[in-house]
Amino acid sequence: MTFINYVARELNCKIVYYGPGLGGKTTNLQHVYSITAPENKGKMISLATETERTLFFDFLPIDLGQIRGFRTRFHLYTVPGQVFYDASRKLILRGVDGVVFVADSQEERLDANLESIANLQTNLKEQGFDLARMPYVLQLNKRDLPNVIPAAELRKSLLVKGEPVFEAIAMRGVGVLDTLKAVVRQVLIELRKSA
Amino acid sequence: MDSGNIVLQETDYRRLQSILERTQKDLRAHLVMLIDRSGHQIACEGPDQEIDQTALASLAAANVAATNGLAQIVGEPGFSVLYHQGSHRSIHISTVATRFSLVLVFDQTVASGVVRWKVRRATFFLDEILSEVVKMSERQHTSADAANEPALTTKFTDEEINRLVGEINLK
Repeated sequence: MTFINYVARELNCKIVYYGPGLGGKTTNLQHVYSITAPENKGKMISLATETERTLFFDFLPIDLGQIRGFRTRFHLYTVPGQVFYDASRKLILRGVDGVVFVADSQEERLDANLESIANLQTNLKEQGFDLARMPYVLQLNKRDLPNVIPAAELRKSLLVKGEPVFEAIAMRGVGVLDTLKAVVRQVLIELRKSA
Repeated sequence: MDSGNIVLQETDYRRLQSILERTQKDLRAHLVMLIDRSGHQIACEGPDQEIDQTALASLAAANVAATNGLAQIVGEPGFSVLYHQGSHRSIHISTVATRFSLVLVFDQTVASGVVRWKVRRATFFLDEILSEVVKMSERQHTSADAANEPALTTKFTDEEINRLVGEINLK
């Protein structure tokens, strides 16, 4: 749910990074935080357990520039990926404008990826959203590991609707910015369509 | 169901700001903030410049969402007021017009009963304005001077979008 403030001349949009546990959602945000100039970012908040597993969400506000004299502020969120945190995931999806699905490319995580996509679709539907009609990007993360499914095969298994797909190694920042740019573009195009 | 984007025009913003200002003065509050349920800050008033308002807005919205989740589990439709008491400062959060919350940061110089009473009054007026804002947004009425201009976002060209995205370099 984009918030357009004509007085402050700001567009505020919400992007949620979704995916199975330990897939790299938080790592994506941490990398974005590390490469963002101080004047373009706010404080990154991570509500996590003692073992650094996301408990509720990570949050990072960033300024991405101006369009038509309006500042574009994007609020990036991650959800907790562990299965039993479903109630929390539903809450974080409220008012979402775009979703990035961070898939874990490892062979043994294929089922977890598929379950997480199904969970995303269900939770979006409960909020009144349809994944088929909203900004959505798929990231195939951990491409550097030895036991990964070939990208073409993984893409075929996880693709929902012909969305942009990016290979990534989030720990090294590979593919992180491209993923973010793709979802930002989709959000702005969707804003234009829905106005 | 989320019913779409919220567009805030200057006249509505000034009316909201005026209520927040009066509330802040009446309660000598450190901060009075209006947020939407996505965690976006809509308006803010108060002398405390050290509080991270973006973080506060996001966490307050998550707090409201989590608490409403708890409410449903125990069979309640929701909890309209959240009150967090600290040793020096406290936070009062109340739901406004379903999709918004009023967040108040105050200290012990004000009794909590007075806070509740004043906030209830403020939320009544905020509710009226915000319900109107939501209705107008849903009707896609977007011009500040009521001339029928197309929405700001319909004017975005592909070139402008590509330029913004292309220039995202962050550092």
